[in-house]
Amino acid sequence: MQIELRTQVIEPRRRTFTNLAERFGDRPASRYEEGTIDVQATENFHYRPLWGPTRWQYDPEYSALRLTDPYSFTDPRQLYYAPYVQSRSSMQEAFSKSLDYLESRSLLGRMPEAWQQLVANVLLPLRHYEAGAQLITTEGVRFCYGTTIDACCTFAAFDRIGNAQQLSRVGIVLSGGSAELLGAAKQAWLEAPALQGLRRLEEELLTERDWGTELVTLDLADRLVYGLMYQFLDEAALLGGAGAYSLIAQHLNTWFADQRRWIDALIATWLADPEVADANRAALDAVLAARWGQVVEAVSDLAAAVDAHVGVGAVDAARSNAAAVAAGLTALGLTVPEVSA
Amino acid sequence: MTVPAQKPARKLSMKQRYSALTHDLNWTPTYVPEAEAFPYTTFEGIKIHDWSKWEDPFRLTVDAYCKYQAEKDRRLYAVLDSFAQSQGQLGLSDGSYLNAMKLFLQGIASEEYQAHRNFAYLARYLNGPGPRFAALCQSLDELRHAQTEIHALSHYNKHFTGFHDWKKMHDRVWYLSVPKSFFDDAVTAGPFEFLIAIGFSFEYLLTNLLFVPFMSGAAFNGDLPTMTFGFSAQSDESRHMTLGLEAIKFMLEQDEDNVPIVQEWLDKWFWRGYRLLALVAAMMDYFLPKRVMSWKESFELYFEQQMLGGLFPDLAYYGIRPPRHVEQAIEEKEILSHQAFWILYQFSHAAAFQTTVPDAAAQEWLTSAYPETFPKLYQPLFEKAQEVMDGGGRFFNMGLPQLCQVCQIPMGFTEPGDPTTICQRHSIFKGERYDMCSDGCKWIFDREPEKYVQAWLPVHQIYQGNCGGPTIPDVLAWYGMQPDDGGDYLGSADHQAWTAWHATAAKEG
Amino acid sequence: MTTTADRPVGIDLQESEETRALVDAIEADNEDLTVLHMPGIVRLTKPGRLVINQASVEQRLGRPWETHELQLAIVSYFGHFAEWDDDQILIAWDH
Repeated sequence: MQIELRTQVIEPRRRTFTNLAERFGDRPASRYEEGTIDVQATENFHYRPLWGPTRWQYDPEYSALRLTDPYSFTDPRQLYYAPYVQSRSSMQEAFSKSLDYLESRSLLGRMPEAWQQLVANVLLPLRHYEAGAQLITTEGVRFCYGTTIDACCTFAAFDRIGNAQQLSRVGIVLSGGSAELLGAAKQAWLEAPALQGLRRLEEELLTERDWGTELVTLDLADRLVYGLMYQFLDEAALLGGAGAYSLIAQHLNTWFADQRRWIDALIATWLADPEVADANRAALDAVLAARWGQVVEAVSDLAAAVDAHVGVGAVDAARSNAAAVAAGLTALGLTVPEVSA
Repeated sequence: MTVPAQKPARKLSMKQRYSALTHDLNWTPTYVPEAEAFPYTTFEGIKIHDWSKWEDPFRLTVDAYCKYQAEKDRRLYAVLDSFAQSQGQLGLSDGSYLNAMKLFLQGIASEEYQAHRNFAYLARYLNGPGPRFAALCQSLDELRHAQTEIHALSHYNKHFTGFHDWKKMHDRVWYLSVPKSFFDDAVTAGPFEFLIAIGFSFEYLLTNLLFVPFMSGAAFNGDLPTMTFGFSAQSDESRHMTLGLEAIKFMLEQDEDNVPIVQEWLDKWFWRGYRLLALVAAMMDYFLPKRVMSWKESFELYFEQQMLGGLFPDLAYYGIRPPRHVEQAIEEKEILSHQAFWILYQFSHAAAFQTTVPDAAAQEWLTSAYPETFPKLYQPLFEKAQEVMDGGGRFFNMGLPQLCQVCQIPMGFTEPGDPTTICQRHSIFKGERYDMCSDGCKWIFDREPEKYVQAWLPVHQIYQGNCGGPTIPDVLAWYGMQPDDGGDYLGSADHQAWTAWHATAAKEG
Repeated sequence: MTTTADRPVGIDLQESEETRALVDAIEADNEDLTVLHMPGIVRLTKPGRLVINQASVEQRLGRPWETHELQLAIVSYFGHFAEWDDDQILIAWDH
């Protein structure tokens, strides 16, 4: 019976859900759209939160950065859960292959001594930076408004713990299979002067209660940290005979390029909002006024530590990267304060 | 520091590796007070002395998580695609089956999503890295469940009524305020209460009563997408159950003073969850053309045997007793599904699913499953409803029901020991009277009246003019319902389409 | 009063080609196992403790099997995961 039935042509009653048809017309919607747009509840909440009765459980007022229509932002990567885990499964597998290769040829231990020290003292402690970044991004998962932003924050938060685990695995391989270097890296994160600027920044962000400004501040730091540690040092490692470092850095670079796509799109959407663009611009300017100098200084300290190990001109590179990032933000119409670093 | 000369690899054990890759990433803030970074873990009175005592048996790292989840989703979406391509809806046991799935999409997808958001609250705000990481994984899983559920039912939406505006309905419709208020209650509670409410009571104590019947029902009725989605979601659920069980044991082990607090939350959330499951009971016994097991059997197997017989003796070690009012739930297993369905039947004109009088075979099954109660108490109701149908009408209750202030179900449940008298309880708070459906809901109200007086009660909102207008058509339009969505299944648009498709098939065959 | 040793524990697995080897391995390694087939699900219960050995599963599958792979097959369980290691999973009550 089933077989005969399948010869019928059945006209559908509708092509997608009503909310999507109202937005886009009655056309077939993608799985990204059906699973992401308008999913979060927006009205008729029952109870005020015991932990913060001034707002609803989902409330645009959890950030100074807002959108008139939260779904004016969509993820340029169109990620919902299934393609997300598939993409990350491939990325993790590629990383594992690289790491297995480095391990099987002992290539991390064959890097010049100074580069090994750099990995142990500067790179490995950044696993804690990634873990802190996960916490900060998770604030957005809970408190942002609208599922398209939420999904991006969710995937980014999980990515950050994934990055932290990748860096940790590098440490395990470089320690010859033990967790010895990871312990030392944690001490460095807690005590080494070069890392305290980043640690202080993250800890301060953990006391903020505005997911949007937290996200943007973290992103400023990311642009400078990734520019230094994974872009500039990728090239410098090759020149310095530390190909193993380059191989590791490339995976983090690939991830950061993916991360940039949604954050850049979100910032652009905030600044293009038909009603609250000016308020958003003011909020972003306030972040820059409060944090840009702190971020530049923190990464400048990190660059100085890099130079102390391998002397590759990291301080200059960090400075010119900061200038390039500042120029990009200025081009968006934002006001980046002068810094003396 | 110096890098040690590379020694022969000493492989870390699964446990050590997991610890290095998760717990050990944590540090205690020193530039800011810890209490400012994690401000929400003290106000509930729960005392935690050592967060490192949290054990997570799964020990999944991000790489393994992505690998297994990607594999699960590859399998799931392959099934969804082929089902849609082959017009699989035609192979369902009957078109009426989908009314269960309409209720499921309208009632559950938004709650999976709420769980996603609030497990992120735990992933951010618990002090310990172990439970934070487990909560982060669960937050991702819950997003998966919301999305895969929508995707699994998306194909039905194209061909049937009632699926089309689930989110708006969830925010507005009277019967959906039952699940919505339940989850709103949980996410507006503190982090530890949420862990007991959802992590433990919902995910461990009651989840099998919710999911296994839906999934087995789907399997039995030819609903491949729901079955595959459901089993796939359940495979994550085992991690969630573990988190819930770990959470309660952790709290109980950390400090004796936690025991009475946890006990009260358990008492509250058992009854909250049990009342929510009244909708599932009705679905199991009345919505499935092919029935798997009765609510009563399911309750006996998944709750009485597994939980009262297995789990609670384990928790007795900590001084925890079975939840308050559990004897009431046991007594109600004979009557719950019938009373809940009778409510849904009467108000189907204001719903986005259809009901109908159980046919002769269904009534025979109900009689054999509930020999003590169905023939005596409920069959007569359906006989009367059938008489109205035979006369060309349909019995709908055109009034607006009174809702329980806590569970928000219309007041249709009966007195303990007397299944013919409607149970009504009330409390006075600040000079106002509030009505409850049961001793369980009254106990919950009296414990936190300031919370429950806030409830957005759909019927009150209609009377106050907040729901699109004074007439039923005004309200239904505001709910986002279309004319074909509700009513009796027989003669409905879905019924007509189903009959036409199969008539064509019979001719061709 | 029942004891930890005889209170039932159990696991529900998806009924499929791929879980057959797993079910066989559990049956072989657990005496007094009760097997119940329901639509789409096979339910395995046993008093006290239920063990899943990696080696037994691998032997029946004819390929390597990580204990994490149980997560592709499990629908539900009752009891407590007392152990989840590379080579063995144990479900039991604690008290």
